[in-house]
Amino acid sequence: MDTSNSLVIETQNLSKTYKEAQALTDLSLTVKQNSIFGFLGPNGAGKSTTIKLLLGLIQPSGGRASIFGYDVQRQSVEVRKHVGYLAQDPRYYEHMTARQIIGYTARFFYRGPKDLLEARVQEVIELVGLEDKADRPVRGFSGGERQRLGIAQAQVNYPDLLILDEPAAALDPMGRHDVLEVMERLRKYTTIFYSTHILEDVQRVSDTVAILNRGRLIAEAPIDKLLAGDGGSALYDITLKGEAEAALTGARSRVEGQPWVQHLSMTTDDGQIDWQVSVTDATAAEDLLLRLILEDRSLKVKHFGRKTYNLEEVFLEMIEKENSK
Amino acid sequence: MTAQTHPQITRDLRMAARQGLLPARGSGWLGGFENMFRKELGEWFRTRRWWGRILIWPALINGIPAIFRATGQIPPEIPDILYYFQIAVIAGTIGMIILAQDEVIQEKQSGTAAWILSKPAARRSFILSKLLSDAIGALAFIVVLPGLIILVQTYLTTHQMAPLLPFLAGAGVVMLALLFYLSLVILLGVLFESRGPLLAIAFGVMIGGMFAAASFPQIGYVLPMSMDKISLMVALGQPLPTADVSQLISTAVLSILFTLVALWRFQHKEF
Repeated sequence: MDTSNSLVIETQNLSKTYKEAQALTDLSLTVKQNSIFGFLGPNGAGKSTTIKLLLGLIQPSGGRASIFGYDVQRQSVEVRKHVGYLAQDPRYYEHMTARQIIGYTARFFYRGPKDLLEARVQEVIELVGLEDKADRPVRGFSGGERQRLGIAQAQVNYPDLLILDEPAAALDPMGRHDVLEVMERLRKYTTIFYSTHILEDVQRVSDTVAILNRGRLIAEAPIDKLLAGDGGSALYDITLKGEAEAALTGARSRVEGQPWVQHLSMTTDDGQIDWQVSVTDATAAEDLLLRLILEDRSLKVKHFGRKTYNLEEVFLEMIEKENSK
Repeated sequence: MTAQTHPQITRDLRMAARQGLLPARGSGWLGGFENMFRKELGEWFRTRRWWGRILIWPALINGIPAIFRATGQIPPEIPDILYYFQIAVIAGTIGMIILAQDEVIQEKQSGTAAWILSKPAARRSFILSKLLSDAIGALAFIVVLPGLIILVQTYLTTHQMAPLLPFLAGAGVVMLALLFYLSLVILLGVLFESRGPLLAIAFGVMIGGMFAAASFPQIGYVLPMSMDKISLMVALGQPLPTADVSQLISTAVLSILFTLVALWRFQHKEF
């Protein structure tokens, strides 16, 4: 099996309407095997709705989705055999202990000698660091402990796909750090599809990102591509040092004369000249921009680089652009 | 949708096999049944409540006639068995409604139903595991245990064994009445989101039905309004009037119908 290109999740025009409200509209996305797929969006964007549709907990109003080739509606039980799921606000039988909860979960997937099942339960308890609390009823657990238990029960079946709905939302920084660490540890074994609105976490662990707003997918791309800017356009930061005014004016007119240059803005500070050049064709810019400047040998380029965005900038810009439509 | 490359032997199975574990039994509509059924049955038999149940039901069903007899309120010629059926049906029905009221509603309200159904658990298995475990629990604690005790009580007071087969048939009628209310409560649990309407309808059918049957005897052809009397007649080997036969058949049919509707509605429930 070629694991690199296998699709784990595929949705086509997946939609969900609640009475009058359109929770999800024509969602089409693909998640590749062994990726950590961050599913972003503001509250109410439709992230949890999508996850519930994938797990068969709610029925779509339109479109379709498959996980490992199984239709999520007609073959939901088969789908869930290969999935580990952590809900946004996980609920368990409060009178049961963590060990009992994980054991109960494990028996949905496996049968076999009791000691082997117990060994697997112990393994995941240790994985999430719940050894001290394993035999206490869940009713006394803190938010962080519940989340650890959630990851343990989601992981007990060695899932081929781990679906996590806001796994770190209710946690303190330490808890968040732990959850992200567990996710990073698991990435080599499994595909992780998780929703969140904590952009810092996404930038840290995800390799692919989809952004959802008001039930619509507004972007889906590998994270480095998303952070580099949209499509062919890009912004370059250039720092120059040059004595001759004429050399600088000449370079500027050469650059501005290019059809792919959109805008050039200049600031000066203590003999240092900073240019910001926005271009419509990043390939052409990579090829020619520096050469055009250095045609005049009296100019010196101290810094030349494509501006990279952080996810928050990209996210906010996309959401604002979408909301203003 | 494009064809997928589905892993022939997936990682979960490979890893489990390495540890000596096998895939769980039951797929399709039976997915997760064994696990859920075992857990639900454990709520009846493997918790400390087991002791409570073993004391409460015999105390109620066998204790009341024993007290009446000890205080001379039951003439010596009337065997305790006559009271067993009456108390088992009435107390059993009330108990069944109370015990089963939370089975579905609490799981929906607390979110545990959504958690369970995110595992390879079929929705039909979810409902059937509750129905079957409650039926077994009720059979054990409300019908069989007090039934055995009443047989001993009867022997001790009359020095005669009650005819076993008619007694078992009478106990079967008690069980049928309990199954009717169990399936009704499970259905109402699927349909409603809170206990209020569930309890109102279930007790409304039980108590309201009895009052209504006094004015409209036709109700007795359809609803289990006189199962206490019918179970006793069956246990005594007496022939049943047409209305009672109709009531037995209707109760069985309605119990199946309630179960089917509950399964169908739960299949389309959103979590």
